[in-house]
Amino acid sequence: MKRTLTQLMFLLVFVLGASSTYAQRTVSGKVTDDKTGDPLIGANILVKGTSNGTITDLDGMYSLSVAEGSTLVFSYTGYANQEVVVGTSGNIDISLAEGSVLDEVVIVGYGSQKKRDVTGSVASLKEKDFNQGIVTSADQLLQNRVAGVNIINNSGQPGGQATVKIRGNNSIRAGANPLYVIDGVPLDGRTAKAGLLATDIGAIASSNPLNFLNPSDIANIDVLKDASSAAIYGSRASNGVILITTKKAKAGTPKVDFGVSLGTSSVLKKYDVLTADEYRGALTKYGLTSGDGKGNVDAFDQITRSGITQNYNVSIGGGSETATYRFSGGYQDIEGIIKDSGLKRYTASFNSNFKMLDGKIGIDALLIASQTIEDIAPISTNAGFTGNLIAQALQWNPTVPLTTATGEFTTAKNNSLVGETTINPLNLLDGQYELAKTTTTLANISPYWNITDNLIYRYRLGINYGVGNTRGNISGNVNVQGITDLGWAGFANNELLSTIHSHTLTYNKPISEDLAFDFVGGYEYQKFDFSGYALAGRGFAVPDNDNTNAIQNASNANKRFISYADPISELQSYFGRATFGYKGKYNLTATLRADGSSKFGENNKYGIFPSIGASWNIKSEDFLADNDNISDMKLRLGWGKTGNQEFPAGSAQERYTLTENGGSILENVANPDLKWESSTTLNFGLDFGILNNRVTGSIDYYNRVTNDLLLDPSVSEPGPAVRAWKNINGEVANTGVEIGLNAQIINKENLVWTLGGNISFLNNEFRNYTGPPILTGDLFGQGSSGAYVQEMKNGYPLNTFFVREYLGLDETGNSEYTDGGDTFVAGGDPNANVIVGISTGLDLGKLSFNMNWNGAYGHQLFNNTAMSVLPIGNLGSRNIDASLLEGDIKESIANPITSSSRYIEDGDFIKLANATLSYNLGKVSKLSNVRLSLTGQNLLIITDYSGFDPEVNTVNLRNGVPSSGIEYIPYPSAKSFIFGLNVSF
Amino acid sequence: MKYKIILLLMVGFSFQTCTDLKEELREDLTKDQASELVKVDALLQAAYDGLKLPYQDQSRFWAAQEHTTDAAMGPTRGPDWDDNGIWRSLHAHTWTADHSFLTSTFSELLQVVYSTTNLLQFDPTPQQAAEARYLRAYVMLSVLDGWGQVPFREAGSSLLEDAQVLGPQEVVDFVVSEMDAIINDLPTAPANRANKDAARVLKMKALLNKGAFLNRETPTFAAADMNAVTTIADQIIGSGKYQLADNYFDNFAPNNDVVGKENIWTAENVGGVSSGNVRSRWFCTLHYNQNPSGWNGFTTLGDLYASFEDSDIRKKSSYTGMTDVSGINAGFLFGQQFNEKGEALKDRKGNPLSFTKEVAIKESGDNLEITGIRVIKYPIDYKSGDNCDNDYVYYRYADVLLMKAEAMLRTGNAAGALDIVNQIRTKRGASPLAALTTDNLLAERGRELYWEGHRRTDLIRFGKYLAAWEEKSASGKERLLFPIPTQSLASNPNLQQNPGY
Repeated sequence: MKRTLTQLMFLLVFVLGASSTYAQRTVSGKVTDDKTGDPLIGANILVKGTSNGTITDLDGMYSLSVAEGSTLVFSYTGYANQEVVVGTSGNIDISLAEGSVLDEVVIVGYGSQKKRDVTGSVASLKEKDFNQGIVTSADQLLQNRVAGVNIINNSGQPGGQATVKIRGNNSIRAGANPLYVIDGVPLDGRTAKAGLLATDIGAIASSNPLNFLNPSDIANIDVLKDASSAAIYGSRASNGVILITTKKAKAGTPKVDFGVSLGTSSVLKKYDVLTADEYRGALTKYGLTSGDGKGNVDAFDQITRSGITQNYNVSIGGGSETATYRFSGGYQDIEGIIKDSGLKRYTASFNSNFKMLDGKIGIDALLIASQTIEDIAPISTNAGFTGNLIAQALQWNPTVPLTTATGEFTTAKNNSLVGETTINPLNLLDGQYELAKTTTTLANISPYWNITDNLIYRYRLGINYGVGNTRGNISGNVNVQGITDLGWAGFANNELLSTIHSHTLTYNKPISEDLAFDFVGGYEYQKFDFSGYALAGRGFAVPDNDNTNAIQNASNANKRFISYADPISELQSYFGRATFGYKGKYNLTATLRADGSSKFGENNKYGIFPSIGASWNIKSEDFLADNDNISDMKLRLGWGKTGNQEFPAGSAQERYTLTENGGSILENVANPDLKWESSTTLNFGLDFGILNNRVTGSIDYYNRVTNDLLLDPSVSEPGPAVRAWKNINGEVANTGVEIGLNAQIINKENLVWTLGGNISFLNNEFRNYTGPPILTGDLFGQGSSGAYVQEMKNGYPLNTFFVREYLGLDETGNSEYTDGGDTFVAGGDPNANVIVGISTGLDLGKLSFNMNWNGAYGHQLFNNTAMSVLPIGNLGSRNIDASLLEGDIKESIANPITSSSRYIEDGDFIKLANATLSYNLGKVSKLSNVRLSLTGQNLLIITDYSGFDPEVNTVNLRNGVPSSGIEYIPYPSAKSFIFGLNVSF
Repeated sequence: MKYKIILLLMVGFSFQTCTDLKEELREDLTKDQASELVKVDALLQAAYDGLKLPYQDQSRFWAAQEHTTDAAMGPTRGPDWDDNGIWRSLHAHTWTADHSFLTSTFSELLQVVYSTTNLLQFDPTPQQAAEARYLRAYVMLSVLDGWGQVPFREAGSSLLEDAQVLGPQEVVDFVVSEMDAIINDLPTAPANRANKDAARVLKMKALLNKGAFLNRETPTFAAADMNAVTTIADQIIGSGKYQLADNYFDNFAPNNDVVGKENIWTAENVGGVSSGNVRSRWFCTLHYNQNPSGWNGFTTLGDLYASFEDSDIRKKSSYTGMTDVSGINAGFLFGQQFNEKGEALKDRKGNPLSFTKEVAIKESGDNLEITGIRVIKYPIDYKSGDNCDNDYVYYRYADVLLMKAEAMLRTGNAAGALDIVNQIRTKRGASPLAALTTDNLLAERGRELYWEGHRRTDLIRFGKYLAAWEEKSASGKERLLFPIPTQSLASNPNLQQNPGY
């Protein structure tokens, strides 16, 4: 409260203190291609020497409030910049000629830079480059589109979380996702979605923390890949930074954009299990007399469906020269391909800019409110031998009808072919639900003051508040151990609040005619607050009811309630960036950030994160100036340090917790030296354009070494059952090369064909480590309790598989292993060595076609589904993997389930991720623009991988260490077709 | 000028938002708060509860003591119970220093050493201190038994310091002197608290096994130690507090705290409220199609089963509250199984559910679901859900009698020893033995104490642990000790890996 009051007072002082006057005017106009006359969408317009700017809309129109006499800089990817001095006319139409890609403006931390001046490795994606189709979160917009950014969905559940890795994996334990920053507000990275207390059906994959943001409100996304660009975000930047810029208000008469899309999704790739007839054949082959239920069912078909997706977005923008506004509203309803699952989302956003005192003072404001309602399928990541919904459907005996003649679910009670512990998948679908509502608001209010022409002060208040409310019920008629005949109901509630106050001063004034100088410096305070509670009850008088409405009626011994609150964590930072440019040829950028965190130990309260970057614009040198073949060439070199502080609050402190009987026990051992993980990155890059920029591209080499790795091993015996966080020895090295290329193969008035591609080569190694192997990769399901398959060992990539070596089946049909199975060998790792993205576009006037392929090579996956859910031993009672009947040797029905290299498969694949055919009708009567499109997602996949989707990651933790590259009965991936209509007026 | 003022204001404002980065706890307590709250009662209860997991779970010390012997096995059944060979490696004596059950057992047992030592700092009453010291000594003797060395920290030592490591002689001396020091402060009852007789039995265990702890390959037994064992046994017998139960299985029943006449030291399980994992004793062994639906795992071995006479109630008895509910008998489940109505049960493939004597460590074949004789030592509690009521039995009277007999046998009094053994056999419905040797005494211990967590210690003491038996070939002498877990070895330089690992 005190802080808020102080800020209000400061605002007042600040408003009263500003009194200089400038003649402000609104300039508007249209930006077009000088050859075709087509509007350029998303072109940048910036008032030179300030951060005041805008971008063009779908018609190429812009509107901007500027001071008379100031200079506007027009820029657009692939076009040469133009500068125009604002005179008396309020209308400035510009046609840009194709020119240097380096003239584009990119968003960097706490400001923006011309691509020409950027010294780090920054990838920039505009709206026109975004993935289309069913997109629920911002990360999906850039999936497969940026070299070095690898995004794998952890679950096919709409709204499920993805594993996002920028240039490989740095960390064993600490969070490995990048930092997301929305319009200058860094997010917490967690979601407020509440998880129910555990039941025997297991834990559900997490939700995506970006679900609250409507992707259609996003204007562009910039990815800070190397340390010289990301180090300004200090202790949270090691995994890269993704800067999301929302669509801004534009002055002018109100303009309405309306978009609707309708689509349908189905299962991308099915698991090959036996049909009823094949099953009967297998029973005969194995001489099994029991097991034929005489029916013919495909249980997997029974739990899946064609899901219908609807998405509606409307926005209204406009305003005067001193006040602009943009309202948007969105509604998205995605039916999952698993019955009774899906996502509904309501979003509203308000974006505005107010200018006062002749533009001397302004306020940017962004308000977002959204609610997502996830209808979550009972597809846990760690199901035991009774499996989750997917397992139950895959292994259902295809000869046994799922329902009886009288319409009851088939179970052991009415069919002797069904095992006592078998759960009928339709019974589970019918008797279980989990509804997770997450309501999120983001307020971002940022007053600024143009103190002089060259000096801007900006204050930013960002508040991101989320509340998650989940309820779930399992009926007593479902055969789940501990729930059958009792019924289970649970509630959970989480609150996540993050607050940021930042103050920045931006100074921009050339030191001399040849020496440009920019500086931004500031202070930032962030606070993160997470708390929640959960209730559950079991044993209800009417176990088949939805008992979430009266949990208090649970039997007394089976009521549970918990509440929790992390220590509030605070982050206090001082940062600065200075940029020097000499004659437009040589650029030097230096940044420094000091981060103090309440989470760090007393002896390491502040971390210092420096970076330096240099670039040389070779094309500006005399010797290349006249070379017509080379239209652009720039070298970049950057070095920097970044941190990762994603360990739980309270980890450095000695903490005790109350026990049920009123005592207290040690919860955490103090470590006053606990600090961030530290990454040092070297980046070397070349940007180029040849043949008049018909071909552009960039090549980057990087080497990132992360040390002071965070881990929480158990304290040495004899000790309490606690783990102690420390920075362990050893380091993780990620080295790689990224190449991006774009070519305009044909460039005619009514025919433009572009072809682009990116390829990343990366290598990951855990080295200089002397401790015991760090274990993860737990397996689940039949016969696998306690089994794990991944170890972090010195000299190997992170998450390397260590398994028995499978030699094939012996003559009795049993598995043979090297050394009888007593020796474990490295059996590959799940880190792809090569990641490829290919995109191509064809423009035929109003008709255009775009296609994106992506692929990954050189990595391995572990198929825990094949191993534990569909083994040969199921025959006679449950279904099996169809491929088990294909071998030359008849596998023994008694061949034990053993984790081995048998279930390690190459993960290589290439996928047609996205294809869009669109027709732009342009003006239609009173509508300024009408566009129709048809998008297909995941249309084709070429892979030898036997599971659902080689882009898979069923994440489970072993002592907090996440697994990687293991498939275990996940929510399957979808293939979708979406029809879209966009109308503007 | 104006802008300088503003700058000053801004700087001032920045200081306003400055924070000292002090982290305030919310759900947890600081050390100061916790110290004020310390209730020795609660710490002591937590220490008692700390024994539940390592002793009652099917995959901890019990597995180390039974699966590695001729009394129990966890066979892999086709697709089930492979668990990466973790069960097979116990029975086959092929475990490594990364064996996760042994790793967890080592760590969890030593957690009790920590919690009991920690309690002593907080000014406990003499009885509380005595109970804590009893629990500590009990656990330390288990760690010595398994691993041959015991890491130890004095009360108040920092957890960041490397713990000292005690060897066999030091631990035995420690246990004996601790029992002598605390016995007067311990209560006389109940069985589920540390008590005087429990301390007496623990001292007996330390002395009886001392020769084996000091030299596992060729144990020798000092007469003084054996005489001390006999003397302590006589004290317990002479108290008249215990008697051999008319119904052997009463000692393990859901209400064994009331009807278990032999129980000297047990873990309290409160039905429906809080319990260790005693239920795993029946879940691990019962077939899926029995009641309750089990996990169809563990079996005993045919030789043990064959060594019982049919009249022996320890072999098979019906038990009221169980057999009338589900048809399941106490003791060994062999042959066709029935439900409570007497209807024959079937396995999941529809074949008769008839357990066989023959069982392989890696089962194959069409009957893999039904191989192996199953064991119900603890009568099933059908009333309490997951938290069953059966108190877990650490020490009971019959063991005291058998230990006395052994001490007498080892000091040349075979006749006296035979009387004691036959007294037990008669009570159990078995015919008396004609003579007593170390071999048939070991066999009798096997019949009397099967699946109670003593077998490995007994086999080592009788010099039989490395022998071949069903589904296990002769093993190397390194198997007399478990390896120090890799993770523990790396965290404390004072620990030395046991030879051969």
